[in-house]
Amino acid sequence: MRAEQMRMEDETIRLERVSTVYEGERIPAIREVDISVHGGDFVCIVGPNGSGKTTLLETINGILRYTSGHGSVFGMEITSNGSAIRKRIGYVIQNFEIDPLSPFLCKNVVMSGRTGKIGLLRFPEADDWDAVRESMIRVGMERWWSRPIGKLSGGEFQKILIARALAQEPDVYLLDEPYANLDIRSRHEISELLTEIHVAGPTLLMVSHDVSSIPSSCTHIIVMDRGSIVGSGSATEVIESGVIDKALGMRRPNL
Amino acid sequence: MISIPMALLITATLGSVFAGLTCSIAGVFVVRLNMASIGFCMSHAAFAGAAFGVLIEIDPLLTAMLFSSIAAVLLSPVASRAKLSTDVVIGIIFSLMIALAFIFLNLSPGEAASGSALRILWGSIFAVSEFDVLYLAILSVAIISFVILFYKEILSLLFNRKLAEAAGINTYVFMLVIVFMTGLAVSFSLKLVGGLLVYALIINPTSTAYQYFWDFRKIMIFSPLIGVASCIAGFTFSLETDFPIGASIVIVSAALLTVSIVISPKRRTAKGRA
Repeated sequence: MRAEQMRMEDETIRLERVSTVYEGERIPAIREVDISVHGGDFVCIVGPNGSGKTTLLETINGILRYTSGHGSVFGMEITSNGSAIRKRIGYVIQNFEIDPLSPFLCKNVVMSGRTGKIGLLRFPEADDWDAVRESMIRVGMERWWSRPIGKLSGGEFQKILIARALAQEPDVYLLDEPYANLDIRSRHEISELLTEIHVAGPTLLMVSHDVSSIPSSCTHIIVMDRGSIVGSGSATEVIESGVIDKALGMRRPNL
Repeated sequence: MISIPMALLITATLGSVFAGLTCSIAGVFVVRLNMASIGFCMSHAAFAGAAFGVLIEIDPLLTAMLFSSIAAVLLSPVASRAKLSTDVVIGIIFSLMIALAFIFLNLSPGEAASGSALRILWGSIFAVSEFDVLYLAILSVAIISFVILFYKEILSLLFNRKLAEAAGINTYVFMLVIVFMTGLAVSFSLKLVGGLLVYALIINPTSTAYQYFWDFRKIMIFSPLIGVASCIAGFTFSLETDFPIGASIVIVSAALLTVSIVISPKRRTAKGRA
């Protein structure tokens, strides 16, 4: 039922000629980008390092303000509705270095994903902790419930970041290099998990510089280079056009 | 041991408790948000502000708050406009504030004014009035309420600001509140601990708690306890030795931190794992 509702929703994300320029910079990090993503789509954005993939994700969830064009998510203009939009978007940030002595436990980091959903001046209740536990089970990290985050390996930390987004129970997932630091087995597990999430209904946008990591359930591919979209379409269309080879100079994925 | 009237003893003890509490809670934010140098800059700006207050004969507390707020608000835009790193701008503002403080102190006329100015520099229990203790008590209630009511937002922000923002938290407002509260904690504690030393009361207790606990909740509970203990022990040490109270508090808190680093169970675990 939920999956059908999600797919019926018109354009979940729409960007029209959107450019984003970082403060103090002249050259846009993304340039006149047009994107239309519908409810239930699984879009993979590929491109070399520095092509604007992360900027695009952060423009969509409004962490970065676009400087020209028009962007909307869930039918709401992004800049003026940033907070409301972000409460419905689960963001898996690109893996960052964590202080080994960092005083945060895994359960608290995963719960922090629900902070906006719970709302101001309200405390997490049993349902919220159930959602946190369920998310950690889904990424296979339930045994690290009270583990300090600084004691995790890079791959384990990545799974906790994914669990954090799952706990938010969002309508849209923005995943920035979700396979970073994962071994082959973990990549496979996360790939299956992403497919499972997609089947349940939410919209997924995944960024990767590695074409071979694109899950087979991906419905659309967008290729970026130097801040612009240089190709898009179904996986087959994009691969056959050769645009990925040109942008990345990499071997073709086995899709 | 020096002998002081009971009323002053009570005022100074309460002042020590509340200064330890507010500064060390502010310290949790400052340390986690890597704002150590910002806090350093703010404390010296507050010192310059207090010296200015003495010079123009108004309550130094007001000018201390004004200067520390201006310093905090100016940092980011100046760094952005000058295309310099925030640390470089902090270095510039810090030295400017110290220079201003010395000029204000030098210009302060009369023996009484000079005495007030010096007390701001080193801190003194004789400089703390009942009103100062009341301000510190109100700030303590405000800062504890802030932590309790917005604990989940604070935890999220202190873990990673970008992720907190992505979860729908207005991080800009929270950062403003945190910087403002830090400025108030510094300004209100200035007379007791001293402009050159108050910063240690922000950093040392939190850094000490960090040596023992993996759980943020425990850091949030034990930092203020360590801060209060440092202030009370420092105050007692000051009475015994007749050293300035600010210097005594800093010596005690630095000693606690040093011992904690040496025996830290957390560091041993982390090292063993590596």
